[in-house]
Formats: sequence, structure tokens, C-alpha cells
Amino acid sequence: MHVPEKKRKRETGEEDIVIGVEQNKKNVIEMQGKSCLHEVAWPPGKEHEGAPTLPPAERKDVEPARQYPFQIDPFQQIAINCMEAGHSVLVAAHTSAGKTVVAEYAFAMALRDGARVVYTSPLKALSNQKYREFQEKFGDVGLITGDVVINPSASCLVMTTEILRSMLYRGSEVIREVSLVVYDEIHYLRDKERGVVWEESIILAPKSTRFAFLSATLPNARDFAEWIATTHDSPCHVVYTDYRPTPLQHFLYPAGGEGIYLVVDERNAFREDSFSKAIGSLEEDPDEKKKKKKVNANGGKEQSDVNKLINMIVEKRLDPVIIFSFSKNECESLADQVAALDVNSSEEKEMVRAIYDGAVDVLSENDRKLPEVVSIIKRIERGIGVHHSGMLPILKELTEILFQEGLIKVLFATETFSTGLNMPAKTVVFTHARKFDGGSFRWISSGEYTQMSGRAGRRGLDDKGTVILMIDSKMDPATAKDMLRGTPDPLYSEFHLTYPMLINILRVEGANVEDLIQRSYRQFQSEKAIPMLEQKRASIESQMKDIVIDDEHLIQSYAGLLDQYHVLEKARRDMLMRPKLVLPFLQPGRLILIEHGGMQAESSRSINYDARHGAWAAVINFEVLGKKEKKEKRRVIIDVLAMCDEARGPKDPRILPSQEGANGVAFVVTIDLDQVLELSTIRVHLPADLRTKETRAVGAKVLKEVAKRFGTKGPPLLDAEKDIKVTSDDYFATVARLDKIKRMIDSHPVLEDEQGTLLPRLQALREKADLKHTIRMLDKDIQKAGGLVLEEDLRSRTRVLERLGYIDKDHVISTKAKAAAEISTGDELVLCELIFSGVFSSLKVDQVAALISCFIWREKSEARAKVPHEMEGPYASLRDAARRIARAESDCHMGVDVDEYVDSFKPDLMAIVIEWCHGATFAHIASLAGDKTHGGSLVRAIRRLEELLRQLSAALKLIGDVHLAEQFDKAIEKIKRDIIFAASLFL
Amino acid sequence: MKIHRLVENAPRQIIAESMSDAPGNAVCVSVGDSIENFEENTLRGHGTLVRDDTLVATVCGVVERVNKLITVKTLHRRYGAEVGDVVVGRVTEIGGKRWRIDLQAKQEAQLMLSAVSLPGGIQRRRTAEDELQMREIFKEGDLVSAEVQAVHQDGVVLLHTRSTRYGLLKHGQLVEVSACLVKRQRQHMATFDEYGVGIILGCNGLIWVGIPSTDAVGDSADADMDDASLLESIARIAQSIKVLSRMQMMISTESIGQTARLSLEHGIHASEMGRGDFLKILWQHKE
Repeated sequence: MHVPEKKRKRETGEEDIVIGVEQNKKNVIEMQGKSCLHEVAWPPGKEHEGAPTLPPAERKDVEPARQYPFQIDPFQQIAINCMEAGHSVLVAAHTSAGKTVVAEYAFAMALRDGARVVYTSPLKALSNQKYREFQEKFGDVGLITGDVVINPSASCLVMTTEILRSMLYRGSEVIREVSLVVYDEIHYLRDKERGVVWEESIILAPKSTRFAFLSATLPNARDFAEWIATTHDSPCHVVYTDYRPTPLQHFLYPAGGEGIYLVVDERNAFREDSFSKAIGSLEEDPDEKKKKKKVNANGGKEQSDVNKLINMIVEKRLDPVIIFSFSKNECESLADQVAALDVNSSEEKEMVRAIYDGAVDVLSENDRKLPEVVSIIKRIERGIGVHHSGMLPILKELTEILFQEGLIKVLFATETFSTGLNMPAKTVVFTHARKFDGGSFRWISSGEYTQMSGRAGRRGLDDKGTVILMIDSKMDPATAKDMLRGTPDPLYSEFHLTYPMLINILRVEGANVEDLIQRSYRQFQSEKAIPMLEQKRASIESQMKDIVIDDEHLIQSYAGLLDQYHVLEKARRDMLMRPKLVLPFLQPGRLILIEHGGMQAESSRSINYDARHGAWAAVINFEVLGKKEKKEKRRVIIDVLAMCDEARGPKDPRILPSQEGANGVAFVVTIDLDQVLELSTIRVHLPADLRTKETRAVGAKVLKEVAKRFGTKGPPLLDAEKDIKVTSDDYFATVARLDKIKRMIDSHPVLEDEQGTLLPRLQALREKADLKHTIRMLDKDIQKAGGLVLEEDLRSRTRVLERLGYIDKDHVISTKAKAAAEISTGDELVLCELIFSGVFSSLKVDQVAALISCFIWREKSEARAKVPHEMEGPYASLRDAARRIARAESDCHMGVDVDEYVDSFKPDLMAIVIEWCHGATFAHIASLAGDKTHGGSLVRAIRRLEELLRQLSAALKLIGDVHLAEQFDKAIEKIKRDIIFAASLFL
Repeated sequence: MKIHRLVENAPRQIIAESMSDAPGNAVCVSVGDSIENFEENTLRGHGTLVRDDTLVATVCGVVERVNKLITVKTLHRRYGAEVGDVVVGRVTEIGGKRWRIDLQAKQEAQLMLSAVSLPGGIQRRRTAEDELQMREIFKEGDLVSAEVQAVHQDGVVLLHTRSTRYGLLKHGQLVEVSACLVKRQRQHMATFDEYGVGIILGCNGLIWVGIPSTDAVGDSADADMDDASLLESIARIAQSIKVLSRMQMMISTESIGQTARLSLEHGIHASEMGRGDFLKILWQHKE
């Protein structure tokens, strides 16, 4: 694959490392038969000082911080060397390749050197699990998330990225001592909402901090490394590997089929023949399929596809298996379908029961009786599990533990299971090849496919992993190839501004938001595009220079006159074709000149003004649209009988120009008044009903007769002044100017040249003008790319803050802003407005919690929930405050939809929260929430509610109203109980 | 407490600002004065409490309102720290991994060893030697600039030096003014380029005037201390601050610069800026 141009050997004692150079300047590193790719980005200005492009050698002066009993892979070794050398490193490898080794080594290094290391992960649940894993290995490990804080003074800290960011804004001491930050799953950077948190924390980290980024394979890792090198002024290495410890085999399972087809083998070769066989076996007849489905839905005897497939997997001993589907409800129903399946032995059943009993022990008496908690045991005993975000966290964690222990062998999961901890199976099944994505179905992207299929194959246990993709519709080989072995998704920036970001930066002496934006990955990527744009511009410029036109200035003046003529002619028509003036003349049978299909193309080919012949057509009737609207918005449409191209048919007619009209057939065409060029004095008689072919043929005869009688000159026209009675002076002035231009064109010197050369010269000129326009657009793009991204947004947001009194005209932050800075879990501006307008002061404790719940609950709901009677007033004030802020934003040109923004605060959770505050059981509030709402979503929402209440209490203490802060503390006390706040099983 | 005396000595601008708001309600209050009827949706801020359905002041000062939030700000108070404030203070004690810093505030402030950026931005290591070498960073009597990191429930102020812009202050002089005279600005550290003099306007009323600090390590500024004109410039800026303080005028980078310029325009030597004739000029200029 890679042909090393030159090979060097570096002797490192017992083993040999061979380093080659690939064509695109990446180093190929081979160690004991395994290889990886490496490259390094130096900060600008330093790359020319003879900075080494090779990876740093293993350090001999220090004891390795951690020894492994096995030989570690080259990519791990290189990454460790980079960290030891005090550089940053980005490791791009598959999930199963063993990136954890890098994180572990970072921890060990910190413990050896008396420094601190922070490990961040995108999800709270993942942080909990990582904490447990590292805690067992290193001991001196702490955990900080929005929910829990354990041992925060430890040398090694596991936290969510949000926590790290707030530490950076606050200048926590952790930050001063941190030598290395490990970012797991760095590809979260492209998350629309939360990606900005990653960028902020990277930018704000002190200059001396180094990074270790762990990521899935990335095509543009080099870009990212360059950004890191630039913003942190230190080299950043990239280590890539495509290596999978267990190779994968990809199969297709066509719906309704009998078996699976191997389409990509373990050597990553695509097998065309078996792919087409698989696609071919898909049933053609959709009706039959529907019938079949119905039988399944009615609980018919025939097994569903998934059921068949799982039976086959179990029979062939391909379990444990993860079955990915894209909806929570589908996971549950699929699991219900395999009710007869039992894959656990009786000893295993006992173990499951023991673990289950241990887990539910932490729950209260009532919670242990919850239907979800009771029913799960029947399922997990048989070795079957379900995993999705709608589950109660404790059951989700129980499932994870059982899966890791091998006690769940068939797991139905959603995409969330593919992120994070190493939880591999032997086989991965996709129930669908398409995913519903905000409005429509699309094929799974290759990045998603890689991430999920990466769960297949257990290192050291399986010699290969199996991936089975179930398809129910045709798929062309290119799409399949792209999905199954295509390139991963690139890393791009979703950096955007937020109010807390502005406030937090404004409160720091000597910091400004422009600097932050300047250092963002988004700005970097934008500037990076400049050389490419400039290259494009240069090539267009040379292309333009190559166009040589004889007597260019003459042609130019001639073309200028033609253009002027067309513009004026259009203006004249617009003045004439006013509904008020011409509608009286649009009687049935009136002959009018209209634009024909090839008009646009023809005018660019024309060398003179009179080249624009239209098509003669007869009016049938007309209609005025939008009568209720303002006059300017009204439109007139006219049905005409016109000669059209027979080949195109009546559904998509193309009107023929009058010279060619004799060859066409007559169709009824609807046109706009804009398309009418002239009105004639002639009216013809048309058959009353033109719906049949025969009557239209009669009409066609009439039109042909007209064409024959009047020839190329056409029928006499209605006179603008005498007949149509135009009174506007502008019209006659325009006509006079048109005449003048016509004369100038007719007497133009270019016409003395040979006529044949005129057209190509005109065309060349037009082409040149187009290129000029492109260059102007490119110049604009280049200018924009070089400027500060988001500059306008920054200005608008600053103005909003000023208007609402968060900062003064010198941008000094006010008390309000200080309170807002304490809030991060909900909409900080609306919450602040509510606090400062005193809405909370008159509420009872449960009402406080209920009102805050509107800031948490964002899930879609079909029917709007009823707002409890006592909450109507407060809810109205919330909507008022939201409206006020949205209005301020839209006044400052932020392009917000005021109503949509106001409606985004949903009252659905209010009644539930009030009940929960009054001590209702979880079973009760779950029944209040209805079947559509999953228990897990409720738990998550109320946990977030607690987090937000805590922040608000802190904000109130800051402004001095301790009394009101107490109300919030009481609310926390009331909601913090039972299953919702049951501790994680991993802690 | 004689309220009229208090008002007389209060910073003119604060009084002027509070006079302009909400007529009909009390503007200047003494301890125990009622501010207004307490309504359900009133937010009671610092310096207030509720007694018999009335909001009552617990300190002497001016009433400040932000929407429904009512606070009483004391005049001539001791400094009460707020998170994010830039302050200047003097080291009084070292021990237990922290420096005690006198900020002329209600309580003493603490600067933790772990909250200090080492000179030159060197990465801190968590070793015991660090603790023994604390005196090499700041010793007793040193003047330091810092930022308020947190204020505990019990009022203890925690400081930190967020970047190398903060830290030990030398080659300059300290001016003490009332904390409420220091105007909140976007930047509390500034340099007067025309004089080559830097200032740090501590929100706690301690203002440092001297040779601007650079991020570079070492004492590059030592040699400049012989430069007479620079010393005079430092003295002029310091005098400007003292004069503003005497006149009860708000102190900001702008007002200091204006005062210094005014004294130069009138050819007044730094040592004579405190005299009546200059005060008169300044007064007329402000009017």
C-alpha cells in the first residue's frame, strides 16, 4: 500500500523500528510487522528551523511511567513518545484499537511527575464508567460532573468537557497545574450544539498545557493538528492507524431473504457478485411485502426477519450480538418479539439474578415495584437486553454491566451504545440501512457505520468480527461501497457565540471575545481556505486573459448598447403590461405575442435587437390571483392556446417561436402577464371547449392561418397611446430612448466589419464578462475568509446584552450579568429576566421547581400539556420574558423567530414536577407523563432541573437575596430523592 | 449617624446618579430607614431586610435598583470583594500553602499556592519543595496584584493570579483611596504611553503607579529607576489620583489622564498639584 521511498533504521536495543516516508510526506512506522502513520504540525514560523518531521524517539532518561506485560502497538508507542517529549498528539484509530492505553499512560505520567491530568469525555455516564476504570488502576483519581464530585483534589481528574470549560473561565487552580488534557471522542467537536464547548476549552487552556486527543479515524487530522500547533505554539503530532485487532466481515441480509451474503471480506475487498445477488433477492413486489408485514404485526406464525436472523446467529454461535436500530420503541418491540429465545444456562441465570438483586437494592421499596424494574428480570435472565437513552439510568447501567460480564448475549441498542467504553460483541446487526434525520430518511453515513460496526469483534476472543446489514430497499453498489468502507467524516468546526461566553470573557481583565474567535478552529479553517480561493482566482484570471477579441472596445460598446436596449425594452413592457391597462383587452381569442421556450438562449446568441421573436398565441381566459393581498403582490395568469413542441407533451409544454409554429401542435398553456410581449388588434374565433384533441386541432388551424396571413411581420399591434390609452410620460420617454438606441445600434461601426465574425466576438465578450463576475465573487469570498468569522453575530449579541442591561456602554458587566454567569444549564437571559422581575419571589417552593422545569424540557410533544391552574400566571410571565428577549434579539438583527423561541419553553413537565415535589412515587409521575415519554427522559430532566436550581440558588446568593435562595434550596431538597437520584452503579 | 454629613462626603458622581432615578423613593438612607413597602415580588439585595412589611436599610448609603432588585450601597465602606475584581494588596503572612493578603477589606484575603501562576508561566508541579520555596515568590511586605477568584459564604476572599499580568509589584508607588471612588472599568490595568507609566486600579482602593510590568521574566526595569523624568511622571500620576480622591471625584484611567494633562497644561509641578490653585483649576474644568 505505502511504498517507502527511503528506509532508515533506528536501533532501539531489542526491537527494530523502521521508518519510511510515504508520498504525501507522512512517516510510515513499522514495528514487528505492525505499522502506523505519523506526521507532525509545527507552529507557524518554527517549521523551517530544521524542526524534525520524525516522531520523537523513546526517552531513555526517564523510567517509563507504565509498563505493559504485552508488546504495545506502534501507534501506542509513538503516541506515548510524543507525550513524553512534551508535545501534543492526536490519535486517530478505530474504537477497538486500544486508544485507552494512551490515556492510561498520560495518567501514569502525571503521577510520576507530580503534575495533573484531566480526562474529559462527552457524556456524564461515560465519565462515571471511566472514573471507575481509572480508579481501579491508579487510585489517585477524582471525578467531577454536573451531578457528582468525588475527590476533586486528586492528581488525575475525570470530568465532562462542560466542567473543564467552566474551570477555565473561573481560573480554577486545577487549570494551573494541569500539564495534559486528554480529550476522548474529540469528533464531538462537530456537534452542532455542544461542539463549541470543546473548542472553547482548547482555546482557553493555558499555553503550557499539552493535549492528547483520541478520535475515530479522521480524514483531515492534519488540519486539526495544525490548528492546535498554531493556537498553542507547540508541535502537535498525528498518529493514524487503520489497524483493527480483529478484522471485520460485512454481510447483507435482504429483507424476506433466506440468508446472508458476504459483501466486504476481512481484507476489505468488495465483492460485487454477491452484492448484486443480495440486491437481486430483494422482493420486487411491494404489495406482497406489505401483506407479509401485516401477518407479522398480527402475530402470525411466520417469523419476522430480525427473529430469523437472531436465531441463525445463536445457532451459528456468533453471539454475543448487538442489534442496532434507530428508535427506542423499535428496540423494545424487537426485544419483545424474541420472547421465546433463551440463551443463558441456569448458572448464568443465577448470576444475573444476583447482580440484579444487588443493583435494585439501592432503590426504595416503592421503586423496586416499578413495572420497568420488575419486568426487566424476565428478559435479562434469558440473556437478552435493551439499551437506549429512554431507560432508567440504573437499568441501563445494569445492562451495561451484564453485557460486559457476558451475561447478556443479545442486546438491542440505539446508536448511543456505540460511543464510549469498550463494549464489544462478536456480531453487530443493523436493522436498517437508513436513518430518520430531521424530516427525511437518509443512508447511514460511513462515519456512523464505522463507529457502530466497530463494536464487532472482541480483541483476543474472536478471530474476526461479523457485521450484518439488513436492507429492505434497493441500494446501488456505489452507495454501499461508500457506506461499508468509505472515508470517515471530516472534523469541522461548529463554533458559535453564546451569551455566557461573552459575559464570562468580559469579566476577565484583559480578555476579549475577538481574540477567542480569532483563535477558533472555525477561523482557522476559514483562513485555510484562502490559498485555495486565490488559486482559483488566478486560474480564472489567466483564463480571462486568454480570451482575445478583435477591436474589443468597439464590441464592448456595441454589446453595451444591446444590453441597454434589452433593459429598456423590459422596462417599457412592464409599464405597458399593467393589469389595469391591458386586462380589458384580454378577451377570449385575442392574439398576443408571448415569450417562447428558447427565448433566453436565443437572446444570448443574438447579434441584434430584433432577433427576439416571440410566439403568437390566442387568449382563452385570465385570472387575477391574490385579490386579498396588496396591489403589488397580485398576479395575473392567462390561459392561452399556443403552438408547442409535440415531443414534450401537454404536461410540460415548450412553446415554439412563431417561425416554427407550423410544425407544432396546439396546447393550452398557462402563462404569467410578465411573459406577454405585445397585444395585437386581432381577435380570432376559437372552439368553446379545448379539452379534446380534435377541438385543439381546430384552434391550431386558426393559429397557422394567422401566421400564414401576416408572415414574419405578425398581426398589427394595439397602439399604446390610442388603444391601450397609456398616459404615463415615462412610457413615451422610454419609447423615444429605445428608438434612439435602435438608431445607434443600426449605425454602429462594428456592423461595417464582416457580419460573420460578430457573433463569436460577442459571445467571447459575454464569456469574459461572466468570468469577471466570478472573480468579483471570489474576491468577496477571500475578503470574508480573511476577516473575523461571526463578526456580525458578535456585534448583535453585544448590542442585545447592552440593551437588556447586562453590560454598559463601556462593556463593564453589571450585577445582572454576574448572576447570569452562574447559570449554564438553562436559557440564562430568560432566567435572569425572570429573577430580576421578581417572578420567583411570590412563588411557593413546588411552583418554583415547576416553572424552572420549562427551561429543561425540550422534547417534542404533539398535544400541548395543560398548564396547571396555579401556574398560569407565572407561565405567562415566562413567555413575556422570552418574548422580550426574542424581540431584543430580532431588533439587533439576529434573525430569531419570536414565536418559535417563545414556544420552545414547554410547560409539559410542570404538573409532573409539582406532583414529584409533593412526594409522589415515580410510578405515579411516569403514568402522568404518559406512554410516549420514557422513564429515562424523566429522570434525566429532573436531574438537570436539580442542577439548574443549584445554579440559580448560587446566583441569588450572589445578588444578596438569601431568603429567595433558600426557596430554591428547599426545592432541591424536595426533588432530590428516590430512583431519580439513585447513585450510579459505577461509583 | 448624621446623614447629611455622609452625603456631603460621598462621591459626587454616585450621589448624582442616584438622585436621577425613581423619584419619590428614598435615595439616601441611614440604618433602619425604610426604603419602600415590601411587595411580594421585590428582590431584597445586600444591605436590606424586611421588617413589618417594609424594606429597611441595614447600612447607610444609597439605594440602587436593578429591575425589582433593591440593594443599598454604602459610601465610605470597607471594600467588599466581588468575583472577578482586580485588587492590589500587601502580603502579611505566609504559611499553610497560602499567603495572607491585606486588601483593606472587611476580612483578610488568601492567596493559595496553587492559585499562583509561577513567574514566566512555568508549569506548577505538585511537590513539597514548592511549599518550602514560597518565600521566593512573594514574601511578607510584598505588594501584589491579583484577581478575586471566589468569596466564601463566611466572607473569606480567595485570590488568584490568573496570568502573568498579575503578581509582584515593584518600581512604583501605592496610593490609597476610598474603594468606592474606583470606577468599574473594562480594564483595570492600563499604561499611559505618553509618560511610560503603568497603573493598576485595584477595586479595593489601592492603586499602584509605576513602571509597567512586562510579561518577560527578570528585572529589566531596574535600570530605569534612575530616570528623573520617569520618576516625575510616576509622581504626577500618583498626585493626580490623590487630588481626585481629595475632590471626591470618581477615579478612572480617563479621569487620571485628564488630571495629569491639565496639570501639565498649566505648568504645575507634580509636587505642587495638591495645592489649592490646582484644585480650583480642576474644579472649574469639571464644571
